[in-house]
Amino acid sequence: MYLKRWLLLAPLLLIVFLLQSYFWVPTYENQATGNPKRLVTYIEGSSGDAKILNPILHADTASSSIVSLVFEGLLDLDENLELRGRLATDWTISERASLFVSPSNRFPDGDDVTGTRLVARIRAALKDSAFSALAENIHAIDVLPPTRTTQTISIQERDEEEKPARRELDVIFNVPERVVFSLRRVDQDFFTRLLPVIGDRYLEHFPYEQYVEFPAEVKPDVRMQIFAQVSERFPVAEHNPVIVFQLRKGVRFHDGHEFDAGDVKFTYASIMDPKNLSPRTSDFEPIKDVEIIDAHAVRIVYKRLFSPAINAWTMGILPEHLLNADAVQREMDARGLSDAARAAFGMRDSQFNRAPIGSGLFRFVEWQSDEFIHLTRNDEYWEGPAEYHDYYMRIVPDLLTQEMEFRAGAVDYYGTQPHQVARYQEDDQYQSFSSTGFGYTYIGYNNRRPLFADPDVRRALGMAMNVDDFITYLLYGEGERMTGPYPKNTQWYDPAVAPLPYDPDGARQLLEARGWRLNADGWLEKDGKIFEFNLITNSGNPVRKNIMTIAQNAWKKIGVKCNTQYFEWAVFLKDFVNTGDFDAVVLGWSMGIDPDLYQLWHSSQAGPQQLNFIGYHNPVADDLIVRIRQEYNLDVQRALAHQLHRLIAEEQPYTFLYAPLGTRVLDKKIVLVHAEEDGSERYEKIYPIKSGDITFHFRQWRKLELTPQF
Amino acid sequence: MHTFILRNVLQRLLLVFIVSILAHSVIHLAPGEPSEVDPANPRMKPEDIAKIRAAFHLDDPLYAQYAYWIRDLVSGELKSFKDSQPVLGKIWRRFLNSLPLFICATLLVWTLAFPTGIQAAIHRGAVYDRTTTFAAYTLISVPGFFLSYMVILWVVDLFGVPVIGLKTFGMEHAHPLFQSMDRVWHLVIPSLMSALGGMAILSRYVRSQMLEVIGQDYVRTARAKGAEEATVIYRHALRNALLPFVTMFGFLLPGLIGGSVIFEQIFAWPGLGRLGYEAILARDFPVILTLNFIAAVLTLAGTLLSDVLYAVVDPRIRTGLQGDA
Repeated sequence: MYLKRWLLLAPLLLIVFLLQSYFWVPTYENQATGNPKRLVTYIEGSSGDAKILNPILHADTASSSIVSLVFEGLLDLDENLELRGRLATDWTISERASLFVSPSNRFPDGDDVTGTRLVARIRAALKDSAFSALAENIHAIDVLPPTRTTQTISIQERDEEEKPARRELDVIFNVPERVVFSLRRVDQDFFTRLLPVIGDRYLEHFPYEQYVEFPAEVKPDVRMQIFAQVSERFPVAEHNPVIVFQLRKGVRFHDGHEFDAGDVKFTYASIMDPKNLSPRTSDFEPIKDVEIIDAHAVRIVYKRLFSPAINAWTMGILPEHLLNADAVQREMDARGLSDAARAAFGMRDSQFNRAPIGSGLFRFVEWQSDEFIHLTRNDEYWEGPAEYHDYYMRIVPDLLTQEMEFRAGAVDYYGTQPHQVARYQEDDQYQSFSSTGFGYTYIGYNNRRPLFADPDVRRALGMAMNVDDFITYLLYGEGERMTGPYPKNTQWYDPAVAPLPYDPDGARQLLEARGWRLNADGWLEKDGKIFEFNLITNSGNPVRKNIMTIAQNAWKKIGVKCNTQYFEWAVFLKDFVNTGDFDAVVLGWSMGIDPDLYQLWHSSQAGPQQLNFIGYHNPVADDLIVRIRQEYNLDVQRALAHQLHRLIAEEQPYTFLYAPLGTRVLDKKIVLVHAEEDGSERYEKIYPIKSGDITFHFRQWRKLELTPQF
Repeated sequence: MHTFILRNVLQRLLLVFIVSILAHSVIHLAPGEPSEVDPANPRMKPEDIAKIRAAFHLDDPLYAQYAYWIRDLVSGELKSFKDSQPVLGKIWRRFLNSLPLFICATLLVWTLAFPTGIQAAIHRGAVYDRTTTFAAYTLISVPGFFLSYMVILWVVDLFGVPVIGLKTFGMEHAHPLFQSMDRVWHLVIPSLMSALGGMAILSRYVRSQMLEVIGQDYVRTARAKGAEEATVIYRHALRNALLPFVTMFGFLLPGLIGGSVIFEQIFAWPGLGRLGYEAILARDFPVILTLNFIAAVLTLAGTLLSDVLYAVVDPRIRTGLQGDA
């Protein structure tokens, strides 16, 4: 009966065929011995695939780790998180400060203001010892003649049906005579220091209406909009910080083309090109102009004081010759795109993003979506080639299988979960590194709600809970207390600020002093209302969910009634956080390295969809925040940041909880290799730099055949 | 027969159209925004987000967005939000990755389920039958992902060979035969794991179907005329028991898409299921919608196929149709 035989034979044959394949696969031990290339191959596991390999377009961590290997910026951060040169060898920061000659003003002694008089008076004053600091900083003073400029203004007006409509309008601004000061250092108080010479009220008023020309039919309310926008673009007194970068000579992109100033200007222009939809436009928006001085020097002029803007130059530089208009035209022709597609074609659509060419430590080889990205080392890297020959990023979405692959040696790096840290620290085969990153978790109170308006109430709520409990029970000890808004591993964080003590009795006393009394049911009550609010967070984050439970319990002990709820992330943002319609939230921030807290804490950023969603408002803090972002002197900036940190810790708009420790594990055989002058090599144990990053010296990493002893 | 097929095709085309409209509305009305316009990203200013929203047509009315989607889908220029890559190309590459897994798992299910089911039916109530019943119900009730974790831990621990992904890393310089066998090995565990559930269920079907047929008069007649037991079972009984499975064959087609999201996720298999899953997480509307559209087309094609197959294998239906036409 052949059918019967086939029914039995078919599955048997299939299974035998499948299982025999096992004998063709090398075990890991064989892999390493039979395949010495494994030692010079670094394989990293990532739970998500990269999206777009372009330094000006990417916005996810997987893309960012590949992009940072393939591309290189002008600058990057050194071991102490300070800027150092990469494609730029050196840079200087100076300032151009310009002041309108305003004939409608008068000097303090009543004399009319003219350009020559203004300069003469300032020059005279600078000889005075009272202005010696100012005099020392001024490098040159020039007078610029008046010019005319056409400006496109976007105005809002009502159409025939009284509906608001936006319209673009060209107006002419007759720029008055200006005095331009070239300053050696940026000085945000420069004009304030000049006030004794030019008169206290000099900066307050300028008759823009006499200098702007516009069509006669423009309505009065639109005129106001025109004046407002012109005065914003051409303030009476303007600070223009200037950075001059000296570029590294002889650096080549991976296709052999030499890097020069044109690439820097092109990268900037690409970011600002609206077609490219770059998520980094806001980082580069403060730039007024990028001027090429020569092939290896560029001058960046900024529109206004904004010291964190320089950090934007850590972003990778694009090769102009592969992405400029000609290259785009060639690509569109080769792909035979339709006219509609051509019209909308931006850098996002280019195949460059799937096979990038940069000037970084590694060159791109292959990308198989959701499987792996393969890079190979750049032998011509200016600092010397990497020890590793090949780099793979494998995409292993599941954490457990990622760990299995790591333990089997198919992945070289593993970021542990908090509960696994102890196990790996005990294991002789691995080296592990723990450090705080740039993130922290907090409970934010809606400062607009009367219940939370009082800092003492917020302080009492914070004192009622034992944050160490969170760290011990939720993070298995893998966390550190936070006291303020800056990441713990930056210089902006003030280590001298003490965390809130765990003191439920003290908390209750604070609340009693505010009129809250325990009622018969055991809840705090004032004016017939009990102390009750909702604490919410997003679903899908078990730690935050548990924080809610522990906090709820801690507050119950002092008589505060807290109801908890969690929502899907999108709903949570849309219905609660963005609208500001919540009492309190459990959330976390992942911060940057710069000290600018404008978006998170400035009172102007408390509107819908903005990030100061708790509605924190403090004029002193606002002033500090603005001064910090305008300060170019690192020491002054640090002092101001510490001041802001203390102020926010004092006011407790959040209960700052903890910064989680990130723990990474590597095979012990991976070491840092130093080439000595006599040609020999010295091995060093891998160590994390101040930011907690262990891959800072990745170029010098090598996997040895045997475990070294240190 | 032709009118039957033609009518069916037309009905289904209409259905595809309705399904695509429904899917489009549901996906756009569901809460959440594409991750590219996530307002929680502090680096993005509202103006930037507005620009991206405009490029994605997110602020246009739904019917316009639907029209844009269909237009781009038809012209083949539909792009993913996530990486601006052409959607059809993405789906095609992932389909090629998923295909071996799908074929291997399907072969395992269908080749193993029949002998086990038939044997269980023949030896109804015996130890073999009870063991397979127990095993089948265990496999049906134990979650596949749990079993997969156990098997991965066991295999990696005991044999020390990799099981994750499409292939072993660092074998780029090995002999092509080794490389292809390595790929087969990487197929074994994921396909076995995704086949287990189907195997258990299908073998139950085969068993009950066989039991029903074995009790029929014509089987008794076959036995009575002195046919060998094997002939009775495999020629007279099995052929008649097969009928309902012909219809099931048609339903295999939609399994091509999203048949094994969990297993592709666990085994880091860059297939279609994962493409869809990740697109949903990132609210990558063009990819979700296109996958959904293809799934709808495949489902309807599958039912059409099984209707036709049924008519082909069962002469009764065919005659009925001819009479009808």
